[in-house]
Amino acid sequence: MTTQQFDLMVVGGGPGGYVAAIRAAQLGFKTALVEKEHLGGVCLNWGCIPTKSLLRGADIAHTLKQAEHFGFTFDNLSFDIKKLVQHSRAVASKLTHGVAYLMQKNGITIIDGSASLADKCLLDVEHEGKVTQYKATHIILATGARPRNLPSIEIDGDSVWGAREAMTPTELPRKLLVIGGGAIGVEFASLYNDLGTDVTLVEAEQRITPAEDADISALAEKAFVQRGIKVLTNSIVQSIDTTGADTVALISGPKGDQQLEFDQVILAVGITGNIENLGLESLKVETEKGFLQADGFGKTNLAGLYAIGDVAGPPWLAHKASHEAVICVEKIAGVDGVKPLNKDQVPGCTYCRPQIASVGLTEAQAKAAGHSIRVGRFNLNANGKALAINEAEGLVKTVFDENSGELLGAHMIGPEVTEQIQGFGIAQQLEATEHELAQSIFAHPTVSESMHESVLDSLGIALHK
Amino acid sequence: MTNEIKPINMPKWGMEMSEGDINVWYFAVGDQVNAGDDLVDIETSKIINTVTATDSGILRAVLGATGETHAVGALLGVIASAETSDADIQAFIASNASAAAETVAEVAAPAAAAIETAPAPVAIPQPANGLSKLAEGEDDSLVAASPVARRLAAEYGVNLNNITGTGRHDRVSKWDLEAAVLAAGGRLIGNASTITATGAVQFGDDSNVKATPVARRIATQLGINLLECRVSGDRGRVCKADVEAVAALKNKMPAQAGGTTAVSSNNTVESQPISGMRKTIAARLQASKQTAPHFRVHIDAEIDALLEVRKQINNSNSDAKVSVNDFIVKACASALMKVPAINVQFDGEQLSYFSNADISVAVAIDDGLITPIVTDANHKGLVEISNTTRDLATRAKLGRLKPEEFQGGSFCISNLGMYGIKQFDAIINPPQGAILAVGAGEQRPVVKDGELAVATVMSLTLSSDHRIIDGAVAAQFMSVLKAYLEQPATMLG
Repeated sequence: MTTQQFDLMVVGGGPGGYVAAIRAAQLGFKTALVEKEHLGGVCLNWGCIPTKSLLRGADIAHTLKQAEHFGFTFDNLSFDIKKLVQHSRAVASKLTHGVAYLMQKNGITIIDGSASLADKCLLDVEHEGKVTQYKATHIILATGARPRNLPSIEIDGDSVWGAREAMTPTELPRKLLVIGGGAIGVEFASLYNDLGTDVTLVEAEQRITPAEDADISALAEKAFVQRGIKVLTNSIVQSIDTTGADTVALISGPKGDQQLEFDQVILAVGITGNIENLGLESLKVETEKGFLQADGFGKTNLAGLYAIGDVAGPPWLAHKASHEAVICVEKIAGVDGVKPLNKDQVPGCTYCRPQIASVGLTEAQAKAAGHSIRVGRFNLNANGKALAINEAEGLVKTVFDENSGELLGAHMIGPEVTEQIQGFGIAQQLEATEHELAQSIFAHPTVSESMHESVLDSLGIALHK
Repeated sequence: MTNEIKPINMPKWGMEMSEGDINVWYFAVGDQVNAGDDLVDIETSKIINTVTATDSGILRAVLGATGETHAVGALLGVIASAETSDADIQAFIASNASAAAETVAEVAAPAAAAIETAPAPVAIPQPANGLSKLAEGEDDSLVAASPVARRLAAEYGVNLNNITGTGRHDRVSKWDLEAAVLAAGGRLIGNASTITATGAVQFGDDSNVKATPVARRIATQLGINLLECRVSGDRGRVCKADVEAVAALKNKMPAQAGGTTAVSSNNTVESQPISGMRKTIAARLQASKQTAPHFRVHIDAEIDALLEVRKQINNSNSDAKVSVNDFIVKACASALMKVPAINVQFDGEQLSYFSNADISVAVAIDDGLITPIVTDANHKGLVEISNTTRDLATRAKLGRLKPEEFQGGSFCISNLGMYGIKQFDAIINPPQGAILAVGAGEQRPVVKDGELAVATVMSLTLSSDHRIIDGAVAAQFMSVLKAYLEQPATMLG
């Protein structure tokens, strides 16, 4: 049999891979996509979407808890976590089918199996013990990433959950230890706390959500502590002992060591790229710290090989992967005006309560980069809509370059800020200054009025502060 | 403002272009057009390219409707000032009738019927005098302006150097631009009146007509004015069906492609008009075979050493995936420098010698073939030739080559080795003087020093135009080429 040949092959069907395949097919490439498990990747099946489905349940729990404040009382409230998980899985399954439909609609060949490079522009795909070889002029690796283990603590799927197990519980943990205060860790801490679990969150850095602006982290920690989450920063889980009925964790922090008991542990200390068994070593494809090395358009050091999404390094976000997919394919096709990824314009969203959203440089990063800056702040406790919905905990912080007026960064914490950050993203893309933002009319009453006030505050003319 | 009438003619892109298909008009009759605007997309043989306006004015008439084929030089439309009378426009069109009549036969009738003229709008301030002052000035790409202001400036034909910015840091805003346009006596885009002197609504600017986005886009694509359409959509909007109804009346809907003829009980014939690209291939190759007396010389080259060098280069260089064909391109470039009499173009009268080897490489694509050019191949290294060829072949298959990337070339290579073809003859790609046909490298018995041995052998055939290339010259080229291929180190120097 002759080797089947494609113009472009994509390895991995997540939000990087399937978007790359669609864009390639739109441009006229004869395109194939290799996926070893489920179309949609981690994002649709084990990440963004199922966790947001679960967090909707947490939102409802929170709403029910404050029902009395609004005049409602009720008895016999009960909760079945299996039903919530069922909802989450149903949404994931629906979207996976949606991706399959998109592949079919765009005439993309789906190849089931695990791919590895046999040579330049040559892929071996192993499926149920049988290996088939394919030729492709351009190969895009979008194999994603998986949770990282610690030297002393590993995910075992039983006492120690990774994200995958943490989103398919069969019963609610009583006492939960979440190791890692990044985006994934705080989302699970927030979720299980709202559902009624006693949660302890441990972060090695001096603040949770260490990638966010320090003011945002401080507010997030304050909100978490108020909700009853125990937050241990500057702390490290030295070991866990799972031999007894309860898991015993040895945690060392600023106040010394302490031993605490839990019935469940979630490990969320970052991720590592899926670079194994791809045939990269023998072809001398460059990797660093577990991720593939690629230029601003996804091109690796190997002829005809590209890498996008999580496997190509941070930020590990689905929308960054999809954006990289488009620019990588368009660059190959010679589309005019393709610009490399600007990592300062990738928004980041964390769906804990209150939500966190940001784009661009933090105040500290802007200073470190040598900008003379103008900072605006506006607290949601002076925002009418936030008070009306009883979610007045939050802050909008804007960082502008004093000379050019460029919006260097925007940092938000509060209700539905993940839906509002795009406003700042568009302003950045259009290179709007604080002047244009100040002149824009924001509707009243909205939470996003605080975005306007924050900009006005940077000019020293906030109206409601 | 002058009363000069400016024609829009079918352009001639490249030597072999004789006609083009109208793909889409970006303006409707009555629209204000500024110099530099994209006017109309023309599909030639291999690509779609855009005709841009060389003059500013009102698009007063369109003679080439979407889907029609017109000869090079044919009158496609007329741009004139608003005060030029309809009679003058018609007279101008009539005086160009000879050109218009060259419209290829099958579409001549609808073309003649499709002439529309726009009535001169009245009571609208004439923008050109004031705006022409705003148009002057040096390159304005460094002027601080908002993205919206910059795009609008291009539409108005305004140079941003002439606008005083009032935004932060004196940035030019949309407001600044529109204020300057109004101050110069211009009118704002989208505010054009559609009322003529008689008070009757004519088919002028339709930008204020309420229409669904889909209807507006289809109307633009089909060159239909929304004022012509009945209004049957919800909320008083022109909808898709309304535009399609007008299109059907005007016979502008895409013709049903092909047809099926029953020949016998279970054998059907499907007839389809051939594509523009196929027409070009047919015309060019027929002309080549008829006008250029082809003669062929054939040689075998042993490529075991070449394969070894190829393996070394690819193993030692991650960013290289050099193919055998890349070696042939490089070897041909080197051989063409040694035998410059092959590195030529001939148009029947003039013989042009080229100082560098611009090598066309035939690439099979879905509906034909195209020959992107590796320019200056004699100055490029193997890896550069390889990466350039991969990029050209990728974009050739996507139809994204620019005309200059496939038009021209001083020599051509056609390689069918990947299909296992042992040997074949190729037809010269005019106006080039010669083409090399490359077969598969395969193990064959060879006799060396009286002994039977096995070597990897490749058959090469050169077709040359005997009007300008003599047999001995072709033979010399082939022996030089063979030497480069058999001792690949010599071409890398």
